[in-house]
Amino acid sequence: MRITLASLLLATGLALSAAAQETPVILTFAAQIGGEPFRCGGAYADIGTTKSTVTPSDFRFYVSDVALIRADGTEQPVALTQDQKWQYQTVALLDFEDKTGPCSNGTADTNAKVVGSAPAGAYTGVAFTLGVPFALNHADATLGASPLNLSTLFWNWLGGYKFLRIDMDTSGGAQAGKDRGFVIHLGSTACQPAGAHGGGMPMGTAGGHGTPSGAAMQPAQSCANPNRARVVLPGFDPAKQVILADLKALLSETNIDVNQPESALGCMSAPSDGDCPGIFRALGLPVGGQTVPQRFFKAS
Amino acid sequence: MGKWARAAAIAVLVLTGTAAAETPWVWDLPAWVPRPRVPADNPMTVEKVALGRQLFYDTQLSINGTGACATCHIQAKAFTDGRPVGIGVTGEKHVRNSMGLANVAYVPVLTWANPLLHSLEQQALVPMFGEHPVELGLAGQEEALFARLTADPRYPPLFKAAFPAQDGAISLRSITQALASFQRSITSFSSPYDRYRYGGEASAISPAAKRGEALFFSERLECFHCHGGITFSNAVTHERMAFVEAGFHQTGLYNIDGKGSYPANNPGAVEVTGQPEDMGRFRTPSLRNVAVTAPYMHDGSIPTLNTALDHYARGGRARSAQTDQLIVGFALSKQERADLIAFLRSLTDQRLLTNPAYGPPGG
Repeated sequence: MRITLASLLLATGLALSAAAQETPVILTFAAQIGGEPFRCGGAYADIGTTKSTVTPSDFRFYVSDVALIRADGTEQPVALTQDQKWQYQTVALLDFEDKTGPCSNGTADTNAKVVGSAPAGAYTGVAFTLGVPFALNHADATLGASPLNLSTLFWNWLGGYKFLRIDMDTSGGAQAGKDRGFVIHLGSTACQPAGAHGGGMPMGTAGGHGTPSGAAMQPAQSCANPNRARVVLPGFDPAKQVILADLKALLSETNIDVNQPESALGCMSAPSDGDCPGIFRALGLPVGGQTVPQRFFKAS
Repeated sequence: MGKWARAAAIAVLVLTGTAAAETPWVWDLPAWVPRPRVPADNPMTVEKVALGRQLFYDTQLSINGTGACATCHIQAKAFTDGRPVGIGVTGEKHVRNSMGLANVAYVPVLTWANPLLHSLEQQALVPMFGEHPVELGLAGQEEALFARLTADPRYPPLFKAAFPAQDGAISLRSITQALASFQRSITSFSSPYDRYRYGGEASAISPAAKRGEALFFSERLECFHCHGGITFSNAVTHERMAFVEAGFHQTGLYNIDGKGSYPANNPGAVEVTGQPEDMGRFRTPSLRNVAVTAPYMHDGSIPTLNTALDHYARGGRARSAQTDQLIVGFALSKQERADLIAFLRSLTDQRLLTNPAYGPPGG
């Protein structure tokens, strides 16, 4: 009996020593506008193609599937600390608004860090996805764990969450007297229930009769436009550098003073919304089958 | 505390627990009506319906205290609001007409044009937290809402009674489950037509309405293909159906580009699915109580029953290749038109419009 116990203790000790090789990983983010720190209610000039001045009122985004990159380009997933607050499973919420001034619908708490661990090793860069993974995105929002239970990040009409939310007032729109403000709400679109492509429910006929592309009792099974952006920053040292997210770069080819008629204010990810393509390109998301490197995130 | 005192305290707790047991809901439905399907994780109870009713009529569920669910869903109008489009608590206009809630428990796909939205629990999040447009305006305000309800002496006991297993937790989960339960309790199967057709009362509807019934169910008018079944809609599910029907149709209301396009801000199910064939498709609404739910269509763009008949008689005011093939067009004599309208009026259920159980609490 004594020998068995000793063996168990030895085995436990080995397991602990293996676990000890896990090393903490902290990725620090910063929200900026033209290189200046984001501040609720601050004024930032020279934004978008009309060089408008904006007053932001929200700046939050979800990242997921965070990984460190080895010199050979392979990825080592980072296990996120389950803090019951900012991080759940593989998702973390970065939150730069503090509920002050025009950010009144936000939360007083802020979070600029992703915290986790990975096996010790030689890493040369980081990668992450801007967005919530499919399985979590289409789960029941009323049961969501923090940070997946903030109503301002619900995307109820399609199911899921706003992956990125940046709201702002704009100077040009105010002068025009209408369409004042511009919002960026990134989320998945063109989502289909199960059986949408031939299985289960009958399809509508060419005459426009019947159920829409596979309407059934199932929740979304796929989205034609997931709108999750994979971001890779090679040559990034988490100990010394910060991941900058800059609104000015995100809007560099977008006119934020004139909203496309009969579309959501700003860009709420609708495929038909002409206010979106410039933003999608800046996020490295495909537009018309073309993808260009993202420019929203960069290393300090 | 002595041994016996502790035992007595436990006995009191046990008794209290028994007193707080949930009371299963008994459907108040005519015998011929199948019961609706209810989500397994939110069984109907008397206590949840009572709490949901209180919440449904409470303007504390809005950002500025000016609106409740009941603002856009008025019992006397079969839980519609009489407006072309709903107006949120900040004055923002919705692009869509407020839908009736009668028999909503039988509707498998909620709202006008979202094939992904299947439960009233999830649907409640849209008016509460939606920002495009703002309806109740609660985005970011859920903690303040919970605090308001906690501070209101009426609510903690109601939540405790409705959700004893959760110790009366006031949460998004409990609020949406209660709202869904109350809405499921709103049924309408007591119209004169029901008494005539299913209740054996031969004279419950007029001879004109009987002639209108024949027209409605004729292959000449084709109304019944979409507006058939117990709810007069082909978007229906209940306990006796092996399959779910979720009818969406393009009814020839718009043809902006000659290819069947609808207005960009209100294009139908395509907005959700991204499938081009879903352009202009909206879920079939029930025709029960249709005489009290004007104006009509997803955008309230048809003001009266007469003009609705005009629309279908023309085969759609803006017909295109995408328009449903069963929108055939027809000619009605003056007599036939009056008969058809008499039939549609026979679908009005006074019990729905006046039953105090569906009205404000205490009413």
